Amino acid sequence: MKMNKTFHYAALFGLISLLSACGGDDGKPGNPGEPGGPPAMVIDTLVVSFDPVQMQSGVATVNYRVTNQDDEPVVGIPSATFIAAQLLPQGYTNAGNASQWQYFTSESCNDSCPGEYVDHRNGNYSYTFSAAFDGLNDVGYQAGATQRIVVKLGGDSLADGTSLPITNQHFDWQGDKEGTSSDPVYTRNLIKIETCNSCHNDLAFHRGNYNQIETCVTCHNADRVSNPDNIFPQMIHGKHLTGFPGSLANCQTCHAEDETLSEQMNWARVPTMEACGACHTNIDFKKGEGHPTQLNNANCVACHNPDWTASVHNDGGNAQALAQFKPVITKAMRSGDTVSFTLTLENPATGQPYMASADQLDFVSDLRVYANWGTSFDYATRSARSIRVHETTPISGSNGSFDYQIAGLTVPTGSEMDKGTLAIQGRVCAASGVLGACSDEANSEVVIKSSHRFFATDALSDNGRRLVVSNDTCGSCHGDQQLNFHGSRNDLEGQCQLCHNPNMLAEAADNPSLTTADFKHLIHGIHSGQRAGFEGINYPGNIGNCAQCHVDRDGILSVALPLDPGVKPLAIDDGSYTSPTAAICSDCHSSETNKNHMIQQGAVFNGTLSDATAGTESCSTCHRQGADADVLTVHPIK
Amino acid sequence: MNRQDGTQIRPWPLSLLALSIISSLASAQGYDLASANRSKVKMDAWQCKRCEVKDATRGEIGIGVAYNDGSDSRFGNTTGTDTDGVVASLEADLTHKKASGYQTQFKANRLGYDAGSASLTTGRKGQYEIAASYRGFARFDNNAALTPYRLAANSWQLPSQWQSAATTEQMNSLNESLMASELKITRDRYRLDTVYTGSFYEASLGYQHEKRQGNRRASANLLTNSTMLSERVEDKSDRIEGKLYFRGDQWLTGIDAELSHYKNDLSALHWQSAFSPTFGAAYSGQSAVAPDNKAYRVAAHSQFSAPGQQVLMHLGFSRMTQDQAYLQATINGPSPMLPASDLNGQVDQLEMKLKYLGRLTPELSLRADYDYRDRDNKTEILSYPQIITDSYYSGDKPNQAYDRTRQQANLGAKYRFTRSLYLDLQYQYEHNNYNALDRDSLQTSDVTAKLHYRLSAQWQTWLKAEFEDRGGSEYLGSSVSNRPNNPLLRRSYLADRERQRYGLYTSYNGEALSATLNLHLMQDDYTDTQIGLTQVDSQGYDLSANYALNEQINLSAFVNQDWRDSDQVGSNNFGSANWFATTEDKATLIGAGIDYDAQLENRLRLGINYSYSDGQSDTEISQGLHSPYGSYYATRHNLNAFADFNLSESLGLRLDWIFEQYQDADWANENLVPDSIPNVLTFGDLSHDYNAHYFGVTLSYQL
Repeated sequence: MKMNKTFHYAALFGLISLLSACGGDDGKPGNPGEPGGPPAMVIDTLVVSFDPVQMQSGVATVNYRVTNQDDEPVVGIPSATFIAAQLLPQGYTNAGNASQWQYFTSESCNDSCPGEYVDHRNGNYSYTFSAAFDGLNDVGYQAGATQRIVVKLGGDSLADGTSLPITNQHFDWQGDKEGTSSDPVYTRNLIKIETCNSCHNDLAFHRGNYNQIETCVTCHNADRVSNPDNIFPQMIHGKHLTGFPGSLANCQTCHAEDETLSEQMNWARVPTMEACGACHTNIDFKKGEGHPTQLNNANCVACHNPDWTASVHNDGGNAQALAQFKPVITKAMRSGDTVSFTLTLENPATGQPYMASADQLDFVSDLRVYANWGTSFDYATRSARSIRVHETTPISGSNGSFDYQIAGLTVPTGSEMDKGTLAIQGRVCAASGVLGACSDEANSEVVIKSSHRFFATDALSDNGRRLVVSNDTCGSCHGDQQLNFHGSRNDLEGQCQLCHNPNMLAEAADNPSLTTADFKHLIHGIHSGQRAGFEGINYPGNIGNCAQCHVDRDGILSVALPLDPGVKPLAIDDGSYTSPTAAICSDCHSSETNKNHMIQQGAVFNGTLSDATAGTESCSTCHRQGADADVLTVHPIK
Repeated sequence: MNRQDGTQIRPWPLSLLALSIISSLASAQGYDLASANRSKVKMDAWQCKRCEVKDATRGEIGIGVAYNDGSDSRFGNTTGTDTDGVVASLEADLTHKKASGYQTQFKANRLGYDAGSASLTTGRKGQYEIAASYRGFARFDNNAALTPYRLAANSWQLPSQWQSAATTEQMNSLNESLMASELKITRDRYRLDTVYTGSFYEASLGYQHEKRQGNRRASANLLTNSTMLSERVEDKSDRIEGKLYFRGDQWLTGIDAELSHYKNDLSALHWQSAFSPTFGAAYSGQSAVAPDNKAYRVAAHSQFSAPGQQVLMHLGFSRMTQDQAYLQATINGPSPMLPASDLNGQVDQLEMKLKYLGRLTPELSLRADYDYRDRDNKTEILSYPQIITDSYYSGDKPNQAYDRTRQQANLGAKYRFTRSLYLDLQYQYEHNNYNALDRDSLQTSDVTAKLHYRLSAQWQTWLKAEFEDRGGSEYLGSSVSNRPNNPLLRRSYLADRERQRYGLYTSYNGEALSATLNLHLMQDDYTDTQIGLTQVDSQGYDLSANYALNEQINLSAFVNQDWRDSDQVGSNNFGSANWFATTEDKATLIGAGIDYDAQLENRLRLGINYSYSDGQSDTEISQGLHSPYGSYYATRHNLNAFADFNLSESLGLRLDWIFEQYQDADWANENLVPDSIPNVLTFGDLSHDYNAHYFGVTLSYQL
């Protein structure tokens, strides 16, 4: 209904403008180079493009054009904020110093305006600042220096009610106090907001108004903030020091390689005590604590040259080492409670497998295979069986393919046609990207990427347990299989569940869902900060955006109701059970009100197994895919 | 060459012989033309038949006393002594001749000054000559370098109450410990030379011993802290030269041999650190000094001439060696194993030159020459450990040979249109092969044209234009360097370059007045350089004139000005150009003088000369914003007056007065005090600003 109403207004507005065009309001053609065109009716995004800044007696006029996603002009934007800042080049304030932003002013136009705001009614707008920049905020304007103007639009709506998304767009330029601006000579482009948003979703601060790094830096600089800890580089480094979900030592987690960023390598090339000291907080450079005394940045690069800095702030060649070792299960079959499998140790770098078995390879420090049965019902036991391949003489095999057996699988009667999972984990020894003997002290252990294969009774299988989250989605914050548990387990999508399954019991607490170590509950409890011991978790994105972690199954996000029939009720250590959907939803929606709502709709809390599996839950009635309160639409999923 | 742990590996300085080899090669062009012509001259015919030689001693000997203002020792570079106060000298120019042809000569010039000389020569003109000589050289840098260091047992030590600190400003006992030290180097050169001239040959043998001592600026660093030290210099070099030449009517041939040995009395620069030790225990450091080394050279020269034609040949071989033991690295923890105990370095140099000169017709003459020079470093290539800081071992790197082979070919022709007009054209091609540089080879082609015109007996003028194009093999910059360079960088000495050079010369030689004017202009364009030196423009002129007012008074004046503008482009983000530097250099030299010579039996000579020189360099960096560097200049006014006259028949008196005003500035050390820079203990401001006088009186006795 709402959509239709908007559409009607828009159509009416379009008709009026069409009429006025035909009627010949003034009869003049549009200015060449400034095509008017019909105004935008549907606005998903605002696209802002700039013409050169015009300077008159040091007062800047910024001319810009606003269009929608289809390049149609957006007319009648009622408000805007304009921020102006200046960039001093690298080394300008002192030898070794980084380039530095200087805030001039911020002017907002709503009902009133400090400067002159002109809507040219064809998508073009102009804003003339209220005063010359020179001297504002005690900062001198320097012709030749790179200048930035940020235009912030949106958060309100057009006169017809079409809402405008909050949009920040910056324009970098340089110019004299008179005349037209030209391209800047230098910049400071280090990081893209997309890199931040890979973990943070849609970062926006200050009531959501500012959502671009290029905007943040215009105010978070020494000329605007009183506390040096709030200067952008220091602030960002400092804020990520605790609870960072990936490797802090790898600067390129955030300072990602990107050829389009002219200063992308500043993290290695421009070491300063401000930027480096924001992470190395045990150093007081000026007092000489933790580092020889340095009173300024002039000498940093003498020792910490780019090569050195890069070499101690990356993975030390681990990726290169791991590219030379990949254990692969090539065959598997089950006989009774024993699974027999064939393991090949591939070297993807050469394409040839290692000829010897793992117990004979001196660079293999640890290599284990775990097995469990029952992928359709989330496994038969919480105690997966395993074998230490690196300490085991293979039963048979040669030329790089060796056979092993794992006995003692739990195969419940009647589940013989189900499937099982074999998971591999391990560590190899390497130095500077080269595999080497573990007995050599120069080498250190590198955890390999864990992996898993499904198997049926007679052979390997491509299908097994359903995929709910993937290593890729976990990796958006945690790095690609960089998060290790229990030493060397990092296959979060398929390995953890071999033990962290419904056979683990929850405690009989207020909300038992938050106490079990069953993977589906454990993960929700940890990331929402509700599980005991994880209260400090500060989830970096929008916790309601299920798609940050969950993957699609058959084209539909795996959180959609109804649940997979394999999901079991929550088993509690007092012998009671909570029905499956209620148990899952309670991981996040844990209030008493939520609980009562679920009970009213047929959920069973702390009931018997038969009650909990009786199917009384009616969640899907309203929350199923396509229903009014579809889980997929009530969550802010992006 | 500077290792962070405090030891230094210096490129071994060339011995004097090596230097002389290089300089002789540099000026090898036409090296024997003069003697070629002389070989045909009938010297006997020139002998003065009427001159009657009697046994006699002639000349004068004198004693000089002077007052020298030595408050700023730099003035000593003008006067030859840095003594502040009275200084005495011996002056002599005595010749004893015998009717038999023997002649003995004794000369002394400012003997007693740091820069003085004396020589005693005896022999028979045209047969043999033996000479013993002494010459002192002195280079005065500064006598106000402030330092808390004192030399004790060959090590620079701090006073006993010294309290080390992390930064210079925290060094509490610094100011009370500072003393002005003198940076000055003197050389004493002793020579013994013999020449024997036979009927068709000439042989000579020379021996030279040179002793050098003094102090010079050095910097010593431990990790991130540096100290300026006055490095002690105490070394000597010995050199023997021999020549044997034979000549006939149409030919000349001979060999040269030289042997030199450099010996440094010091083996290392040791110093106590003024800074608190960081990362452990670096309380002192040591740094290698110039290593002992040897060199020899043998060369053969020949030339043949026929009417209107001449061929010259030259072949030379030199070998330079050094095997000074390496110093141990002064680092914390075990010192890395070096692959050898010394460099055992050997560099061989082979040079060959062939030149032809021929006058084909009275109007046209041709010349062609080929020059080959090869530097072959035969030092063993070994893998040396690299240390960046104490705690960071950065792998091994081999030493580099940096071999070079240069070949140069010249083809020239001179055509005389009339007696007063000729045109000279020359084409030169140069090919260089390198090893371990950013380029494997460089080729240069050069065309020069010169038109010479003699307008009249007094006036002549020439105009010269030159175009040079330099290119080479693929630029490998980022792959051969130790650390990747910006791929757009082109080193100026290896970059593609187009050079244009123009010159105009005019001279007038009248009876009383003579004058010359010389204009020159040069433009270098680095055509493929996006990062680096991109353009150099230079121009200048010389104008000089001499006017004899009458028989007694002569006036002279000259002015010379040169300008050079260089453009450099850089990038501070490893990408395309984003900063730009221009350097504008300017030099001016002006002088004028009057000389009066009474031309009387009772001599009277007076003179006053003034010169002004000014050199300055202004650099401006721009990266959007313009950042000019500070002052960098040196200005000097010098007034030199003398009066030389006889007091009596045999007593002469000479009075000298020198006044010099000198000022220089370098923004890099302007207004520095020793603790201005937190991690560098400096000598303070080393600039000069002085007005100094020198008054000298010389009383001479004439024989």
